[in-house]
Amino acid sequence: MKKLSLFTICLIILVGSWVFLRFVVGGIISVPIPGSVIAMYMGLIIIAILVHISVEDSLFQEFRRPILETLVEDKRRNHRRVLVVLIPLLLLGYTYSIIAQRANPPGSPRDAHPSPPLELTYKDEVIGTMQDVVNPFRHYEKDDPEAFSAHVENGKRVYHQNCFYCHGDHLDGQGHFAPYLQPLPANFQDPGIIPNFQESFFFWRIAKGGPGLPAAGTPWDSAMPIWENTLTQDEIWDVILFLSHYTGYQFRTFGEAH
Amino acid sequence: MRIRTVALLLTLFGMLIVFNFAHAQNAPEASEKGKEVYENSCAHCHGTEGRGDGSAAENLLPKPRDFTRGLYKIRSTGTGELPTDQDLFDIITEGMPGSSMPPWDTALSANDRWEVVAYIKTFYDGFKEAETSPKQINLSGKVAYSEQSVETGKALYTELGCVECHGNIGRGDGTSAPDLTDEWGFQSWPANLTQGWNFRGGSDTEDIFKRFIGGLAGSAMPAFEGDSFPGFGLTAEESSRMIELDNKDEMTEAEEEESAQLYEKYDAAVDIALNLAEGTELSAEEQQIYDDAMRVVYEKSWHLANYVKSLMPEKRPEPAIGNNVLRSQYIQDELPPMDDAAWGTLEARYFPLVGQIVIEPRQFNPTIDAVNVKSFYNDTEVAFLFTWDDRTHTTDETDEETGKTLEDALAVQFPVKVPQGPTAPKPYFLWGGRLPVYLWHWKASAPEQVTELTAKGINNAEAQAAQGELHVQSTYTNGQYTLWVKRALKTEDKKDLQLEPGVFVPIAFSAWDGANGDVDTKRVMTSWYTFVLEPVPSSKRFIYPPLIALLSVGFLFGLRAFVQRRNSEEI
Amino acid sequence: MKSYLLASLAILFACCCVGTAFAADSGSGEKEMLVFPEAYKAMNVSNGGTISGVVKFEGDVPEKKALEITKDEKVCGADEKFDESLIVGEGNALKNTIVYLIDISAGKDFDKKAKIEIDQMGCKFTPHIQIVPVGARLTMLNSDKIMHNVHIFSKINKPVNKAQPKARRKMPLQAVKKAEGPVEVKCDVHGWMSAWISYVPHPYFAVTNEKGEFTLEDVPAGDYKLGYWHEACGTNSEAPVAVTVAAGGTVTQDFTLKLK
Repeated sequence: MKKLSLFTICLIILVGSWVFLRFVVGGIISVPIPGSVIAMYMGLIIIAILVHISVEDSLFQEFRRPILETLVEDKRRNHRRVLVVLIPLLLLGYTYSIIAQRANPPGSPRDAHPSPPLELTYKDEVIGTMQDVVNPFRHYEKDDPEAFSAHVENGKRVYHQNCFYCHGDHLDGQGHFAPYLQPLPANFQDPGIIPNFQESFFFWRIAKGGPGLPAAGTPWDSAMPIWENTLTQDEIWDVILFLSHYTGYQFRTFGEAH
Repeated sequence: MRIRTVALLLTLFGMLIVFNFAHAQNAPEASEKGKEVYENSCAHCHGTEGRGDGSAAENLLPKPRDFTRGLYKIRSTGTGELPTDQDLFDIITEGMPGSSMPPWDTALSANDRWEVVAYIKTFYDGFKEAETSPKQINLSGKVAYSEQSVETGKALYTELGCVECHGNIGRGDGTSAPDLTDEWGFQSWPANLTQGWNFRGGSDTEDIFKRFIGGLAGSAMPAFEGDSFPGFGLTAEESSRMIELDNKDEMTEAEEEESAQLYEKYDAAVDIALNLAEGTELSAEEQQIYDDAMRVVYEKSWHLANYVKSLMPEKRPEPAIGNNVLRSQYIQDELPPMDDAAWGTLEARYFPLVGQIVIEPRQFNPTIDAVNVKSFYNDTEVAFLFTWDDRTHTTDETDEETGKTLEDALAVQFPVKVPQGPTAPKPYFLWGGRLPVYLWHWKASAPEQVTELTAKGINNAEAQAAQGELHVQSTYTNGQYTLWVKRALKTEDKKDLQLEPGVFVPIAFSAWDGANGDVDTKRVMTSWYTFVLEPVPSSKRFIYPPLIALLSVGFLFGLRAFVQRRNSEEI
Repeated sequence: MKSYLLASLAILFACCCVGTAFAADSGSGEKEMLVFPEAYKAMNVSNGGTISGVVKFEGDVPEKKALEITKDEKVCGADEKFDESLIVGEGNALKNTIVYLIDISAGKDFDKKAKIEIDQMGCKFTPHIQIVPVGARLTMLNSDKIMHNVHIFSKINKPVNKAQPKARRKMPLQAVKKAEGPVEVKCDVHGWMSAWISYVPHPYFAVTNEKGEFTLEDVPAGDYKLGYWHEACGTNSEAPVAVTVAAGGTVTQDFTLKLK
């Protein structure tokens, strides 16, 4: 078998790495890799190749030999003809695709968990400061398990009459209305949700919904309703109990060892 | 030694696969575990006693299944039969698309799902009393999908009366559609056969075949098993001859004789089928007649299933975001009217609708799946073509509860001012709030008219004092509305949206199905999407690319010349 | 005086027997159902008695409710159709009342030659009330040459929902094994169509005609409880009437029913 020239090997490495990144890593193994990341890796590989061939003069000579041959020698005439057509055509196609590229709709950068206001309110009634308000029924968990499960049960009822359409039977944000809402409804089974917030934060989000988001939470896309118009304060606190009870996650608390 | 180990491992692995996947399982004995899982995950809809009356049931339609009657829609078994354990397990695992039943594949372990199956069965004594396992529908004679098969199926679709409920081309708009109820008296809409993604039991040809043969127990969908077919026991040719003779106004004596003979054969086959169903042992000859008859019926059923399959796209269209964003196409000439063939050159963009469950009265059970949109614009005007499926054409019905007038309608919503930049706030998606929205409101009772509204909230909309010049056309055919609206890009009215090519504009929809009780806030809707008047591509695209190609050719030749010169110098 | 006696007798019977009858049969807790004996033995009846009578309606007769024909006008709308849940004839005669013996355990066999049919003609079931012996096939006729579907809302037996396409003139249905009734029959294609069938274990069931008349023949001599069922007026299952039939004799028992 004829030994491959250094140039061919380099070409194979280059094309091979691209295929590997684009289709093997970014397809078979995992999700597609963004184009810019692939470009970065390819840049590194090109630099590595350049470093390799420029270490010794002989290597460089060997590397450029096929290029020079193709450019001038008669035995490579056919290669030359193909390349002189192919290269301009590829460039033509590439530049056309860049210029004719269509504009894409603006993205929607938003802060998913904006800072809450200082005071927690229900309708216009001030309940207390966001940091101090606790779920008035939470203490039953230790004091009166029976009353506690009654509240959880009521929370479950409220949840399934109002929330599960979007947030799902399993509280995983995959209700049957969910796939067509932007942004997607919150997934309470996500370990990064409940443990990171106080119950008062949840009360605020439930009571005020999408329209109650501060400027950082815009652009006003959340389909979360303003539940204080429909639910009583107690119902909201009960739903919050149900959320943590069903998922098994504890809300974040202040003032206790945590 | 090593080969033996490998062989052993492979065998074990193979057995594992066989046990896990290929083998239809039976549920374990009902246990406390099943009850616990049921009460935790199912009871809120299906009720603690399995009557389908959990706390969530009130708002749902289709209603959660009442397990106490043993009636299950999605079965692999024949009409009147109970489902297999595997059927129940599959429904729990995969959920029922188009209803509130979600898939439980990730939320519950396979073991838990089997326990639930066992527990659900305790609600109906028939499972315990059943002496034999339910008779499954034989899927072995599947007829491959082909144009020919679809044609045959199409003829059967009319002959068997499917059109009565499912409509001429399957949009669920048959003349009987509005009056259907299920076994419990609740409204039950016939399936829109063009929306396979909403089929409760899946939309594979096999699924369609099973629903057709076995019926959907408890719903208005009858079973078409065996002797339901006209001409059961006759060959395909004989049965079409029988129907042909039936349709003659007058028959000759010979024809009457022929008809009578065919009917005799038909009645005899039906008799055999009933004997079998009632548990009578068949003679070999009778069995042969029965088998032959069923072969013909099943073949016809496969044709019908293939036809139904041909009515739907392969999968649910992608919503109009990302690559599928709605782009209005530029044309130089007059914009095409509603029935112009030019619209056929555009691909519709799909805006799925969900129930409005934010503000009372709410709509928990949408009947309109989506709005499809196409658009053209020229230098001065823009035209939109909206289509959406609605099983009923309602223009003037009175809601029994509220006394309000119910009618079908569509509203297209835009912001009054397009937000500048991605972080600029849009108006609240439900007809605005602090920031106002600009709306086109179309009603089925005035099909040639669109009213311009300005709204600052779902209950805070008013018709603009100065109504702009909007051109409107609309039709309702075969369960589908088509609405065409044309407007100038720029208007004098400050409350109107002004359009400019290349600017992404938020767009949202609300739709009302009068027959589903939709009125005012009770409706289906979308949150914000965007659309753009696609700018005419820059003419630069014809200048720069050839220039670069030319330059590259020059470069290559230059390079060659350079190398040649250097080579000659070196020598 | 006679009615007073009858009423007290009826109450007595109700207390003693109905409870057990209820526990024994259908198993369904619904009150609007017929009551069937636990077991029935067919035998030759000679010199049996006859129970006959007239069922009348008491109260203001509601106006006839015309049915809204929403489709297949040509076939279904040829003549005006009325709701058949309450048909009151001349002299307040009440049609379509089932009158039957509740507690008979032995008696004559079914008339095997009788045709058990319901016709779908002009998008209406005829008859409106049909008695179907357990183990016999009900044959659905389709005189309309349009698509119907036969939807029988059984709760004890398997519910039936079978299409009867236009070319299907005659469709016998599978016989059932358990007594049940009355069960509503509907056609989903034509939502206004309605009929009632009863799967019964013995032949002592009669349906009143236009004149409100019924006759139960060949009843072996003995004491019986006589029950009725009417779609709009309900049943007397909780307080059936007691009758005594003498060999070869005739007993007359009239009923007067009110809307339930």
